[in-house]
Amino acid sequence: MADWYVKEGKDSDVVLSTKACIVRNVKGYNFMPRLDDADCQSLLETIDGAVDKNVFEGGQASKMDKDTVMRLIRLQVLGREGNQMAGPERKAFYYNEDASLAVCVGSGEHITVRASAAGHDISVYKKAEKLAVDLESKLDIAYSDSYGFLTSNVRLAGTGLKILYTVALPAISKTEGGIAALTQRVGQYEWSIYPFAERGELSDSNVYIIACVNTLGVTEDDVLKRGEMLIADVIKAERACREEIATSKKDQSEDIYGRSYGTLRYCALISRAEAIGALGWLRLYHDYDDAGEIKLSWNTLNKITMDVLWEPGTPPRKSGTNTLAASQRMRSDGIRKILKGEE
Amino acid sequence: MRCERCGKELTNRIIKINGVTYCDNCARLMGYDRFLRDPADMLGNPFAPLDQIASSLMQMSELDFGNSTLTCPKCGMTLREFENEGRVGCIECYNTFNNNIVREMFKQQGNSEYLGRLPVSSADTEAKNSDVERIQKPLSPKPVIEKTESDTDDKAEPAKPEQQKKAETGAAANHASGGLTIDKLKKADLGMLSDEDLEKGIKTAAEAEEYILASKLRDELKGRKEGGLNG
Repeated sequence: MADWYVKEGKDSDVVLSTKACIVRNVKGYNFMPRLDDADCQSLLETIDGAVDKNVFEGGQASKMDKDTVMRLIRLQVLGREGNQMAGPERKAFYYNEDASLAVCVGSGEHITVRASAAGHDISVYKKAEKLAVDLESKLDIAYSDSYGFLTSNVRLAGTGLKILYTVALPAISKTEGGIAALTQRVGQYEWSIYPFAERGELSDSNVYIIACVNTLGVTEDDVLKRGEMLIADVIKAERACREEIATSKKDQSEDIYGRSYGTLRYCALISRAEAIGALGWLRLYHDYDDAGEIKLSWNTLNKITMDVLWEPGTPPRKSGTNTLAASQRMRSDGIRKILKGEE
Repeated sequence: MRCERCGKELTNRIIKINGVTYCDNCARLMGYDRFLRDPADMLGNPFAPLDQIASSLMQMSELDFGNSTLTCPKCGMTLREFENEGRVGCIECYNTFNNNIVREMFKQQGNSEYLGRLPVSSADTEAKNSDVERIQKPLSPKPVIEKTESDTDDKAEPAKPEQQKKAETGAAANHASGGLTIDKLKKADLGMLSDEDLEKGIKTAAEAEEYILASKLRDELKGRKEGGLNG
């Protein structure tokens, strides 16, 4: 079965992925920051017994080989820097065949259920909920009538639910005051927007994450409805900005579009920032390319974007090799291969 | 900005004591009346500001020392650690640091009431892609970049009869409840509305599916009721 993020998704010109995360803790154990190693092992065993092995593979993080870890980073089960692998003896990861559904144990809270889908697809909530309900029926979950599901991070107490849309906004980013106006609009929905990476190579990546804030004072349905209204606004605004740029500056846009494709298709070394910048231009002008010489589907564009964004760390250092050049060459080889296949 | 004690939105003035933001009402209830005094009141006593500074400093240190010794009997987490890390160590911490946790929740979310689903039960959700698309069209606020709105309208799917019906319902709700339209409610100073108006407004906003507005009105009403109980 193909990995979840290479599947066709709705509104995939703007929305790269939709994710639902639900956190839970098991009663009778301290939360992760205050959980000693012996209790942690007991917790891992308890949760392991509740996870359906007919659906999920994986297990304790310390027993995973390097290739599996790399695959889980690429599939977004682990954080993109792989920092969730710190203290692997206190963590476990379970995932289904296409990794669209995962259970992370010991990453901040005892249990994090995560459902992911390509493009704009709010059905991820129901998938995550179904798995969360299954675990709730098998485990004694920390819950209070006043605060709902209890969590170590009090900002998550309540529903313990986060909905996250990863969006590519090259046109809003290039529109003066666009991101500031969007941030204001997102705030009106009581949601938040933040760049995919706050610092480093991808800090100017034009990819953003839009996430819900409230876990109290709202029902799950409120969160989903607000999110859907908000994402519809974001999609509409981004498409409007693309049209504005592509029509008012047609010659320049067409030129940069062609150059960006050329860079990605034929370069030998490319940094992540340059790749994401070029992908942003391809995304922006894709629907306005009248010549149609460049054959590129949204699916391919999204796969390359995801590969670059969620690229596992640089290849291992070997004596006499330039690590930076090696990682840039590996990246450009990967992109070229995909684009060549598309042709 | 909201009062960190009751969660009520601050409309008139902001009173910050020991780094905590209070509304007038809560500042009074907490015994910080002197911060609410008009400067003209102090003219009668030229040493009043000095007295005020001294008593504030005493009170600040009292509060700080008192808080730092609070420790969870189960996991040993201190209040200081909770305040630094934003995380608690166990379920018992929710009882031990109850006031501080509620304050943190108000600060972050403007609410501490749980409305979500029960364990081992499914949430009653309607949001499906196709449904939501239908709901969104008449409800979507203005696009972020207004100058290009007309461009996208051309590309949008033609309005279906259901959408028109929804839009009409929204418009009807806009004129309902004795002149309290959605627009008026959005622009209104909530502090100036009566409890009855707020209740009507919540209903109107909910009917028009203006959930954010409805929740703001509900918070205002709840804040008043809680303020009344405390007072």
